[in-house]
Amino acid sequence: MRYIILFFKNLALFFKGAFDFQNKATNHISNEADALDDQFFLLCFGDYLGLDLPTTYYALELLPYLGEDIEKWQKRMNSQKSIWEQKAGQLDMDP
Amino acid sequence: MAKILFFGGKGGVGKTSCSTAYAIANAKKGKKTLLVSTDPAHSISDLFNINIGSSITYVNENLFGIEIDPKKESEEYINQIKSNLSDIISPIILEEINKQLDMASVSPGSHESALFDKIVEIVLDETEQFDTIIFDTAPTGHTIRLLSLPELLSGWMDLLIKKRKKGISFKKMINKKQNEDPVLEILNRRKIRFERARILFVEDKDVTFKFVTNAEKMPIEETKKSIILLNKYGINVSSIIINKILPDESNDEFWKNKKDKEKKHILKLKNEMPNYEYIQIPLYNSDMDEENINLMANYIFNII
Repeated sequence: MRYIILFFKNLALFFKGAFDFQNKATNHISNEADALDDQFFLLCFGDYLGLDLPTTYYALELLPYLGEDIEKWQKRMNSQKSIWEQKAGQLDMDP
Repeated sequence: MAKILFFGGKGGVGKTSCSTAYAIANAKKGKKTLLVSTDPAHSISDLFNINIGSSITYVNENLFGIEIDPKKESEEYINQIKSNLSDIISPIILEEINKQLDMASVSPGSHESALFDKIVEIVLDETEQFDTIIFDTAPTGHTIRLLSLPELLSGWMDLLIKKRKKGISFKKMINKKQNEDPVLEILNRRKIRFERARILFVEDKDVTFKFVTNAEKMPIEETKKSIILLNKYGINVSSIIINKILPDESNDEFWKNKKDKEKKHILKLKNEMPNYEYIQIPLYNSDMDEENINLMANYIFNII
């Protein structure tokens, strides 16, 4: 009996994991929002990475409002080991 | 709306003398005139023999001057940002950002941007106060780049605004609460200013370029190239000023020869570029200073 209950619990978990569209969709959007933030920061502050952008000076005044997001950006960039790994993760193909 | 005149040309042809004399003549005609020096090696203070600083200074009746100091402008901008910083974010990030700002304030790109920013500010904000605004610019290449910046920058601002808006719309979808975004507001404000400057520089007929040259081969060649380039950017070149014209009468073989060459150069230039107003200014036998600039100004007064 115990095993049967356990089996059904695991079965439920399996379906939840396999078909959790709600959660997955949010994740996708969240990832996409992060990716857009990354692009935005790169366009604003690419100068620090050696990209010669004409807007560098004008982006400085955004710093007070972006400071905390930039910290998150740095963390994301630091924890990203490989671009393939990240993309595979987004598509649920754990390598 | 003020008439806006840019004086440009190769180094050493007499841009500062011509623009200053023009400004004096223009003021004498009763038009309220602002003379703006954008050349980092400022010399209009020397010509007027008074100290003209980085704010608009009274020089003479109807005549005002300003020498833009890019270093000071960028420092002010950075300090403004720093004062915004303190009440918004945590002290740990604050230190990091302050470091970045200090680094940015000494980079050469910042000075160019600060100079451009000040030019836009003068053009947009002082236009109601004056009848004529005259810019004495740095040598050609620099100026052409400067005048093409509004187009480039408003394009960039568009791109940034688009990315930011898209990012915000995605965040809204996942129920992260989004307030009015100050970043978008700043970007939009910038974009509107660049766009207004672009329209003014490129489309408005009240903004014209006066090209200063000498009647010698190299300055003339550069003038031709630059005018073609300016036309490509849609900037309206109205006149070509030929400065330092030699006197007619001379018995000396050397000067006769030189005068002949000068005449040929002028004729050739007028043939090749027929659609411009030509202003010819004689060579003076003394240095340009407080007194002699008025001789030149009187000469211009009589021909404009």
